[in-house]
Amino acid sequence: MDWRCVMINKVLWLLLIAVALYSPFTGSAALHLNDLLTADALSQRIFFELRLPRVIFAFLAGMILSLGGLLFQTLFRNPLMTPYTLGISSGAVFGAGIAIILGMGSLAFGIAAITLFGFAGAMLTVLLLIWLSRYVKEAQGTSLLLLGIALSLFYAASLMMLFYLGDAVQNDMLIRFTMGSLSVIGYQMPLLLLIAAALLLGMLWRYRYELQLIAISEDHARLKGVNTKGLTLLLLGVASFSVGVLVSLSGPIGFIGLIVPHIVVKLYPIVLHRRILPTALFGGLFLVVCDTIARTLNTQSELPIGIVTAFIGGPFFIYLIIKRSHR
Amino acid sequence: MIELRNLACHYGERQVLRNISVSVKDHLCVLGANGSGKSTLAKALCRLIDYNGSILYDGIACKTADLAQKITYIPAKLESYDPYISVEEFVLLGRFPHKERFTDYSDKDRAIVSKTLQELNLQPLASQALHTLSSGEQQLVLIAQALTQQSRTIIFDEPTANLDPANAKKVANIIKMLKRSYTVILISHDLHLAHYFDAPILFIADGDAVLYEKNETFFEPARLSHHYGVAFDGLAVRYD
Repeated sequence: MDWRCVMINKVLWLLLIAVALYSPFTGSAALHLNDLLTADALSQRIFFELRLPRVIFAFLAGMILSLGGLLFQTLFRNPLMTPYTLGISSGAVFGAGIAIILGMGSLAFGIAAITLFGFAGAMLTVLLLIWLSRYVKEAQGTSLLLLGIALSLFYAASLMMLFYLGDAVQNDMLIRFTMGSLSVIGYQMPLLLLIAAALLLGMLWRYRYELQLIAISEDHARLKGVNTKGLTLLLLGVASFSVGVLVSLSGPIGFIGLIVPHIVVKLYPIVLHRRILPTALFGGLFLVVCDTIARTLNTQSELPIGIVTAFIGGPFFIYLIIKRSHR
Repeated sequence: MIELRNLACHYGERQVLRNISVSVKDHLCVLGANGSGKSTLAKALCRLIDYNGSILYDGIACKTADLAQKITYIPAKLESYDPYISVEEFVLLGRFPHKERFTDYSDKDRAIVSKTLQELNLQPLASQALHTLSSGEQQLVLIAQALTQQSRTIIFDEPTANLDPANAKKVANIIKMLKRSYTVILISHDLHLAHYFDAPILFIADGDAVLYEKNETFFEPARLSHHYGVAFDGLAVRYD
């Protein structure tokens, strides 16, 4: 890498970290470091019970989405593949929607019904995809992507059905959920997400050399003695679990999983297994920055995070498609 | 020694190999027309595809996971979805079958890699990304990876198909040299290479195989014409 790239990388990382550090102090009520030091009770509560957990939550969410994207793109050798394009998040939204329309309150273990149903929706979608992929000949690439698109469309229609059935209050809840939110109170949700993120990162790290072989080609991995089918299922399962946990807590946050792996590979054109950690870090910081934008743009009430990531991700997605077709 | 007993493969309805029984004591050169099943045979040997019948390595049917320590397959062309892997990192993957699970590569692994790179004069390219290499360099990198795998048998699948004459000569001589320390199975359309390789010939046509223990008998123009269905001038096809 020449020195200009190195400089751009450093500046970019510094910028991201700076914004992430500034992030908990900004929002509908601006805080100052002094407020925290002078034991201002309200400021301290805002900082430690709302802002800090939120930044942590956003960081972990960005990490899960980016790692999920990197993993799916590698396993299916398709740069457009993410847990989202396969309809896993649509499944979660549909599951959460059912809980909302059924008017269910809190369920077991203090976890909201919306979360449990959302998680079930995501997991059922994964099982459905695995089952369907047995009937398509070329399950690796395009066919699976098309299956995911078909599923997403089906879920979209089902969601319309739920809107049709729901009353005004329920529909408002449903709309809020589909827009995605990183708003958390306290540390219960960040903790759940920490488990999911640690599991995903741990598995990717543990199987990094196997994944590296698969990233060359599936045959190459099998020739080196890797049980590619078993490993693919295992990693897909773990990634879907983590993404399922995330989407059921936050609602869908689009495009992060798609764009972050592509940005990181531009920053670091190096071997896959060395890109796992930068992807996790960059993804986390990137979503924190997006969330900071969402909270600072409109001071009346914050912009839903899904809108911000889609506004950034949409154009990038188009750029990616055009660039690919020029190759 | 590799022993094939009644090996049969099919893709869906289509039978590609029919009841092939051969034992490979030393080296073997596999020839045949396009689509005759040469590569299928190689894939069956490495268990990349399902087959009927049995393949024994030194008298035992090997588990898929252990196979990588016995046999290495070198494809005609290097294909990688991850284009940014460097030569050194790619060659290091040849040590994967010898690595303890969930550990990093050892110093011994890295030493083997740098020794192999030196032997093939690839040291200057060590840190370059794979996608920046020429076809000839890529073929050498594939060979380097296969050597670090340290398996008894190496299969070359059309090693010279994408190479210019100078690189083809280089690779041909490396293959010839490897015959001294490995069991080499060569699959090719390049009759000059097959002749130079100097090993028993297995000719596959329509799923059946004929073995020529003495390869000179195979390279008679009449025999070549009979097998390939075109006229030959020595080892060269007559285009007129």
